[in-house]
Amino acid sequence: MRGNLVVGGALVGVVVVTALVSLLWTPLDPQAVDASVRLLGPTSQHLLGTDKFGRDVLSQLMVGAQTTLYVGIVAVGLAAVAGVPLGVLAAMGPRWLGELVLRTSDLVLAFPALLLAIMLAAVYGASTLTAMIAIGVATVPAFARVARAGTLQVLSREYTLAARAGGRSRWWIAWRHVLPNVSGMVVVQSSVSFAMAVLAEAALSFLGFGTAPPTPSWGRMLQESQELLAVDARLALVPGLAIAAVVLGFNLLGDGLRDRFDPHLEARR
Amino acid sequence: MAARRSALSALASAAVLAAPLALAGCTAGSTAIVAGGPSTLAVGFTAEPQNFDFTTTDGAAIPQALLYNVYETLVKIDSDGEITGGLAESWDVSDDRTVYDFHLRDDATFSNGEPFTASDVEFSVERVKQDWTISLQSGMDVVDRVEVVGEYHARVVLSRPSNSWLRAMTTRIGAMFDPSGVADLANDPVGTGPYDVESRRRGDAVVLTRNPEYSRPGSPRPEPDYRTVVLKYYADATALNNALLSGGIDVISGVTAPDSVPQFEADNRFRVLQGTTNGEVVLAYNNRRAPLDDVRVRKALTYAVDRKALLEAAWGGRGELIGSMVPPTDPWFEDLSGEYPYDPDRARRLLREAGHESLRLNLRIANLPYAVSSAQVVAAHLKKVGVTVDIEPLDFPAVWLQQVFTDGDYDMSIVQHVEPQDITTFGDPEFYWGYDSERVQRLLTEADTAPPREYIADMRRVARTLSDDAAANWLFLFPNIVVAKNEVRGLQANQVSESFDLTGLRRQEPS
Repeated sequence: MRGNLVVGGALVGVVVVTALVSLLWTPLDPQAVDASVRLLGPTSQHLLGTDKFGRDVLSQLMVGAQTTLYVGIVAVGLAAVAGVPLGVLAAMGPRWLGELVLRTSDLVLAFPALLLAIMLAAVYGASTLTAMIAIGVATVPAFARVARAGTLQVLSREYTLAARAGGRSRWWIAWRHVLPNVSGMVVVQSSVSFAMAVLAEAALSFLGFGTAPPTPSWGRMLQESQELLAVDARLALVPGLAIAAVVLGFNLLGDGLRDRFDPHLEARR
Repeated sequence: MAARRSALSALASAAVLAAPLALAGCTAGSTAIVAGGPSTLAVGFTAEPQNFDFTTTDGAAIPQALLYNVYETLVKIDSDGEITGGLAESWDVSDDRTVYDFHLRDDATFSNGEPFTASDVEFSVERVKQDWTISLQSGMDVVDRVEVVGEYHARVVLSRPSNSWLRAMTTRIGAMFDPSGVADLANDPVGTGPYDVESRRRGDAVVLTRNPEYSRPGSPRPEPDYRTVVLKYYADATALNNALLSGGIDVISGVTAPDSVPQFEADNRFRVLQGTTNGEVVLAYNNRRAPLDDVRVRKALTYAVDRKALLEAAWGGRGELIGSMVPPTDPWFEDLSGEYPYDPDRARRLLREAGHESLRLNLRIANLPYAVSSAQVVAAHLKKVGVTVDIEPLDFPAVWLQQVFTDGDYDMSIVQHVEPQDITTFGDPEFYWGYDSERVQRLLTEADTAPPREYIADMRRVARTLSDDAAANWLFLFPNIVVAKNEVRGLQANQVSESFDLTGLRRQEPS
């Protein structure tokens, strides 16, 4: 099971490094339009060829990694920051509050995230920001549920009971015992949610509701290549493989981390 | 205000034409297999009519299917933009150009069996003025009255001379109706054309069959070659292409994915026809708002965009460079595409003169393929002269119409204007161009009532003034690309009328 962790970590690592490198250097300007070199196959100048605007595909792919990670980090961060306290509160607070949080999260879960994002984009304009917020909001329930389940487990442990008997306040217990013990599960959830956020951003950009041009985005690269599928499938293949690799990477990483953090699984093996 | 209203409808039609493209890839579209046979023709489209009533429903899809095919007009426009006879075999115009005498053909019959006579002309024209609700209806405002002189002789009297009226009569407002055939226009159209609507499967197809009343023995009007024409609707360009490749349809009415055309050109089963449309893809400048109220800035931006390269990159080099708001099929067309040759140095100089070493402008575009593609090239070119462009794709039509078109809240925009003779929109200072030129307004008013020769000259002056003022940047003229199986003949390369004209289509056996 260490394999998951290693392969997932490696895939994610490659993307992170690519994004970091692209902050400082890309082979060519990813936004430079040049009609005279449009739709070229791979050459020494353009390792992955050019798109219909004559832009370098490799440079676009590299900068697209930035967009992907950026959206993932902000959306998942937002969801975790809002979802984890809500989950802890639902477990430790009064019963009615717990019910309220659970039922609300059911509601949000029942509402398709993409639809929410398209609605937001229609009202506030399509941008990376609206996409991130929409994906983040839709992911909050996942974190709230994980945090609540984890908190309930921790609350039944002896050390928590002891702390309570010792007259410690709820907040002290939440801070000292609950949060450190649920953090592992949150990290696992983050990795899985990250994969979903990447897919959602790609889907939104594909539909024209995500990252606005000319900022490179893998989803939009896919969309721009759709009509060229019969002419040059490479243009769709490159961003498609990139998206698949990242999603696979984060999912494997999530699996690997779960194996590490979850003591029950460890015991069963 | 007439100009404003009619232009709105132009955009609405553009919306119907192009909106499905925004969701390319979401839906598979039409699925049913068309029962073939040599007398059946299947034509693929991307925009489906909501109903069959173009008297109260806006949009390009209804006249595209019905005009000339089901409904006929007194006069038609041919693919070169010339006005020719339709239900009127000939017509005379009085010296003061206010009285039109139409001599009607005596062998036309509506699909319900009623003969077509001069009283139907009176009925149809009056009906446009009284009962039609679409904005184009205002094209009939200039008509004072219609007189029935004889059974096949109708006289239309205008309240003032108008050069645009006869041309407007070639559009849907010139369609001829029968008084007993207008009870259920939305579902059961009754016209004199070669085809009649047989059935309609919503979301899939409209089936037209030969109108038995169209051609009687001994009539000079030939029976259409295809007894049945199936109009098939596909949600996206790729599905449409695949339908032709797999034999589901015989003709693609208009390819909207230009880079996919080479696959058809390379295939000897198909023929590709490329012509012009009335659709100008315009980079609009907000003439009302600083810094674009400064003509030097507008000229600089126009010099800074290499339109030839833009057409190549954004639309596969298919389309035409025009340089003003006039498609080549308009009689006053003049090639002004060379007026602002690509010259980034000159652009930088002009910007410096105007006091803008660097500039940041928003580009609020319709969220449609041609606009998104063009915007990226515009942004890349303007960046080279120190202008930073923020591209904001707006949901089309709703959000774009509100923010850009109605509120005028934008610096630059890109949208395709599809209505015939939409150059007149520049005569309306309230229009979203924000262009207020006393000279253009005066010329446009004079032109409509002037004698024909001066009309052409006046319109040329308007087009040239717009170009001189850099009132907008006409990026390119949208191409009409028709792809058909080899045996289908008689297709028109240019899309000048509002109709996808089926009347001349015939089948030619491969020899």
